[in-house]
Amino acid sequence: MNKRSSKKKLKDAGQGYLFMSPTLFVLALFIIGPILYAIFLSFNKVQLLGETSFEFVAFENFARIMEDNRALIALKNTAKYVLIVVPCQTILALILAATLNAGLKGEKFFRIVYFLPTLTSSAVLTLIFMWMYNKEGLINNLLEMIGLPGYNFLGDPDIALNAIMLMNIWATAPFFMVIYLAALQDIPDSLYEAAELDGANALQKFFYVTVPFLRPVTSFVVIMGLIGTFQLFDQSYIFSGGSGGPNNSTLTVVLLIYQYAFKSLGTMGYAAALAFALAIIILIATLIQRKFSKEESLY
Amino acid sequence: MKKKWLAGLGITTMLMGSLLAGCSGSDEANSEGSGGSEGEKVQITLAGWGGNPSEQKLLKQTIADFEEKFPNIDVKHEVISEQYMDVLKTRLIGGEGPDVFYLDALEAPALIETGVVEPLDEYVTDDFDVEDFEKPMLEAFKVDGKTYGFPKDYSTLALFYNKKMFEEAGVEVPKTWDELREVSKALTKDGVYGFGVAPELARLYHIARASGGDVVKDGKANFASPEIVEALKPIVDQHLEDKTSAQASEVGANWGGEMFGQQKAAMVIEGNWAIPFLEDTFPDVEYGTAELPAVNGEKGTMAYAVGYVMNAASEKKEASWKLISYLTGKEGMETWTSKGFALPTRKSVAEKLGYDKDPLRGALVAGAPYATVWQEGANLPIIMNNFNNQFIAAFLGDRPLDDALKEAQKQANSEIQ
Repeated sequence: MNKRSSKKKLKDAGQGYLFMSPTLFVLALFIIGPILYAIFLSFNKVQLLGETSFEFVAFENFARIMEDNRALIALKNTAKYVLIVVPCQTILALILAATLNAGLKGEKFFRIVYFLPTLTSSAVLTLIFMWMYNKEGLINNLLEMIGLPGYNFLGDPDIALNAIMLMNIWATAPFFMVIYLAALQDIPDSLYEAAELDGANALQKFFYVTVPFLRPVTSFVVIMGLIGTFQLFDQSYIFSGGSGGPNNSTLTVVLLIYQYAFKSLGTMGYAAALAFALAIIILIATLIQRKFSKEESLY
Repeated sequence: MKKKWLAGLGITTMLMGSLLAGCSGSDEANSEGSGGSEGEKVQITLAGWGGNPSEQKLLKQTIADFEEKFPNIDVKHEVISEQYMDVLKTRLIGGEGPDVFYLDALEAPALIETGVVEPLDEYVTDDFDVEDFEKPMLEAFKVDGKTYGFPKDYSTLALFYNKKMFEEAGVEVPKTWDELREVSKALTKDGVYGFGVAPELARLYHIARASGGDVVKDGKANFASPEIVEALKPIVDQHLEDKTSAQASEVGANWGGEMFGQQKAAMVIEGNWAIPFLEDTFPDVEYGTAELPAVNGEKGTMAYAVGYVMNAASEKKEASWKLISYLTGKEGMETWTSKGFALPTRKSVAEKLGYDKDPLRGALVAGAPYATVWQEGANLPIIMNNFNNQFIAAFLGDRPLDDALKEAQKQANSEIQ
């Protein structure tokens, strides 16, 4: 009896795996395989073009990151970008969601309008913004109209990254707004009623009921924001035409990885090492964020 | 129970089968037309970047002529419109490279070094007449005495000047850089800059070299040497002190030709590509071209060459060579360059088409004998990238020129290994 049932179990498991095999196959081929391959690459000096060669160099690629000035600049730019964009887009998303949830007239219309930037492809968005940022473009003309000096948004190293930040906050905040909006519907009215009875005003209700209740969602939004912003690539790529200029000011880590992987020959291994390092940085940032937000302790 | 087993197996095999079928389908398509024996129709691929529509039409015409002459060769023309080198390298790595492709002289040494480009010496016959090519352009595709490609066309740089603005300011076309700076002062007014400058190594290379410094030394960056800093100083000074020059983005344009067409600069330094652009987009601008102003009493300009090369992994080398030899041969080149979108690299074709007497292209052709070809070993792309990135900081006045170049040089050399 016992033997039979264990045989049956095995059979069941085998059948289960058989059913999963297409998925497992795809997973192994397109996700697990490439990850392992990237790790393998990061420990080798790789030449793919012409005569393919792999030369095991242990941690040389990682040591090179420390000496690479551009890698440090890229990391600094990316960190600055993350530190400014993540809080800004989270707060903006929360404010937008709160206003849309307040029961004002024309809510549905504004929901659609606010959400539109997220639906636009980021490449198209960047091109439109570059047009507006042009020295003779819309934004400079507006600034001039109200008597302020214009900027060379695209060509000035001090401003180029800020211009990308502004654009990205505007474009990604609505996406997180929708997430907040969904979470806001979940807050029971009874909590607000109780707060009202205790004599709380609208602002107090927001800070003492809404914000704490949304903490798990905020945690999610911040983590997604961190991952997204650390991986900034397309906007700065289009902005600088792939160079990360002017004066390395829009150089991000992913853009640097791209340059080493595809622009210069024989640095694929180094690029893989950079990518690996970036993954670790994102992991650490996420862990730190989780430690601070203490999401489990809330309820 | 057994039935379920079978059903599971069946579904899995079906899925796997369709996956595998999807893979094998493309293989079949690729193996078609290989071999290339007599009588059988051979298909070869030719990859290049796009150009303006009229240019594309000319290339189509040239290819059609070729196919008529060699009826058993079918040319598949592929246009890689963005990030040409990245796409090409990836395809070569994947073994899906085109048989024949464009290669910029700048990128040639690095790509040839890897061994993916076929040496062409043994294919060349006397009829092909190698001596007929302009020597500097041909040299650009030679490594260790072997020829890996033949230049299809080239362009040098010339000074484009706005005739009306020069008339109003009452100045002559400058013959030296000192004159250019003086003239710029007279031409700068009401939001118009005297000189539209491109602060990039590709455009400044001949100036950087003019006082005897080597931008690249033993394959490493050397542009922070005092001679080169000295030679480039006037470019920065003109922008910061005289305020009579500007780069395109400062006036809201994308490149020099556009800046010139919008009449925001009275002079720019551009190549042959700007002529059809100005004709199409800004037909009202009256302009002339002149040879570049001399630096330290010596004439200098840049030359940018593009060649046809063959994939070393190609299975249809005979047919590929036939295509290259036709496209860069006297007949094909004449068709290709007949409208002046590109300048012929063969002396005989240039003579026949008479571009040296063309009012606009004459100055470009005149520069060819003394031009510096934009190429310097395998590491120039890295060196260029770092130079451009930091030079702009000096150009905008954020930091002194020698500091910026020193840092860029250090960075470039750390990337070269």
